[in-house]
Amino acid sequence: MASPMLELRNVSVGAGETTLLHDINLTVHPGEMHVLLGQNGAGKSSLLSAIMGMPPFEVSAGTVVYNGRDLAGLGVDERARLGLGMAFQRPPSLAGVTAAEFAQALGAQRALADQADALDMGQFAGRDLVVGFSGGEIKRWEVLKLFLQAPDLILFDEPDSGVDLEHIAAVGAAVGRLVSQPARDGSRRAALLITHSGLILEHVRADRAHIMSSGRIVHSGEPQALFRHIQKAGYVAPAA
Amino acid sequence: MDTTLQHDSNGALDAGEEAMLRRVGYGGMEARSASAVLVNHELRVATSNVDGVEIMPIQDALMRYDWVQDLMFNLIAPDENELLRQSAELLNDPIGQFIYVHDGAKVGLPVQSFTLMELPQGRQFTHNITVIGKGAEVEMISGAAVPENVHAGHHVSIDEMYLREGARCRSISIERWGKNMSVDSYSRSEIGPGAETTSSQIMIAPLRRHLSDTKSYIHEAASANDQATVFAPEGTERVFENETYLVGPGARSESVTRMVSAGGTIVNRALLVGQAKQTSGFLGCDGLKLSDVGEILAVPSLKAESADAQLSHEASVGTIAEEKLSYLMASGLSEDQARDLIVQGFLNLKEQYLPEEMRAQATEMIAAAKSGGM
Repeated sequence: MASPMLELRNVSVGAGETTLLHDINLTVHPGEMHVLLGQNGAGKSSLLSAIMGMPPFEVSAGTVVYNGRDLAGLGVDERARLGLGMAFQRPPSLAGVTAAEFAQALGAQRALADQADALDMGQFAGRDLVVGFSGGEIKRWEVLKLFLQAPDLILFDEPDSGVDLEHIAAVGAAVGRLVSQPARDGSRRAALLITHSGLILEHVRADRAHIMSSGRIVHSGEPQALFRHIQKAGYVAPAA
Repeated sequence: MDTTLQHDSNGALDAGEEAMLRRVGYGGMEARSASAVLVNHELRVATSNVDGVEIMPIQDALMRYDWVQDLMFNLIAPDENELLRQSAELLNDPIGQFIYVHDGAKVGLPVQSFTLMELPQGRQFTHNITVIGKGAEVEMISGAAVPENVHAGHHVSIDEMYLREGARCRSISIERWGKNMSVDSYSRSEIGPGAETTSSQIMIAPLRRHLSDTKSYIHEAASANDQATVFAPEGTERVFENETYLVGPGARSESVTRMVSAGGTIVNRALLVGQAKQTSGFLGCDGLKLSDVGEILAVPSLKAESADAQLSHEASVGTIAEEKLSYLMASGLSEDQARDLIVQGFLNLKEQYLPEEMRAQATEMIAAAKSGGM
């Protein structure tokens, strides 16, 4: 098996003085999509933010290793340039900053032109980012943004929350298309996706799922089986 | 009547001067209806290519039209302050331009007027008068520039503008003074009944001190829409004293100022006065503070003298939210790139009417001013 793309080794995450996540261990290989399932407040978004290096979340213990490199001490932009990318659940509004200007800053005007129509965002080049976007538009923009950045390890924070079923199908298809594209070194991309509803699992091919509860990963297993378990028993580890 | 006056028709500006002015919006004669360029103490260029637009030194205008003397110091009193008093005394032989767009003229290409100050530690006092005749329509582009080697000096300008009944004027100005210069600009305008004016001012380049003192008088059913984009890097102080008087029934005004302090000081005091019935107006003052150095003071104020005047204002001052920076940086932009995008977005140049080359220049000026490269 190829070397891991992402390894979390005994990771704890804090924000300020508060420790939110404890002793997280997780390994993602190239070509894999992992899913984190958990109720609101379980700590899923905090984990993704900490991997990405988004303040105020910090790894307070353990190590996060990406393609063999310890990410400790690297800023969010440095991590992004190494190949990490993240679709935000609630991106901030950026009045006056258009999608076209953002793409230009990334040197990704061609990608915007190529991908916008496929996400039904062909008319969005001149729109201010996220200003007045509907829930579905936000989710599609966040995926389009990742097409512009072209990261190798993609973190999806609740891509199926707050949108209707039709949008979930469209976003799921786009997520699948994005992840299936090759990484910059020609290897395969990988993804870590958060969902609490699990609805997007109908539209993406997930390889492994993990249940998070109270800041810990309490169980890992086959995604569909785990989701069926959660529907019956809630976000608790199945009996041994 | 001879509507064309050009003091040096065989290339009045040298290539260096023209290049300097192009950075603040100057266009070739073929792209403009009329041009005026004041260099140091001389109106070097005064050319009109079209009927219906006259452009000439103010001294010539005073001799040619006896009514021009009644417009001079009509909207501004020479005894308003000591500087104006000194300027008025010095202006026995006034320097400046007179632009006259005749009644009913529909001017296709813009009329441009620029000021160049080429003398280090120079002193420049100008008095300009612009008259847009009844029902005339015109676009004006103006600006100021100095060579790279001019850092210090003092420029004082008085502008009196008259839009006659039903006239329409869209104006853009962009300035690029020396980093240690002082500028005092006094601008007065009378917007006649039913007239409309839209203006964009770009004040981005560093200078030591700028006082901009503006008063507008808007008559019946006339409207004024002003946008100002202000940037102050460390070492720059910009003070704006703006007063707008809605003097005629149905007069309207909207004024939006976007200010960014990157260590400089910006003071914006704006007063909107509704004097007549059914007047309406809005003042917007938004500030973005990029560091703990310098300050932004925004003081919009409203005064209703008529019972049904509809006046409102908004003011905000803040800094760039870390959340926004991090969001952009999470796509791989550096912190500087992320800040630039947010600042450019805040200043919102694309929402202003600007020729594309001027927009590009303004964008470049913001980046250079932020990095201390100007």
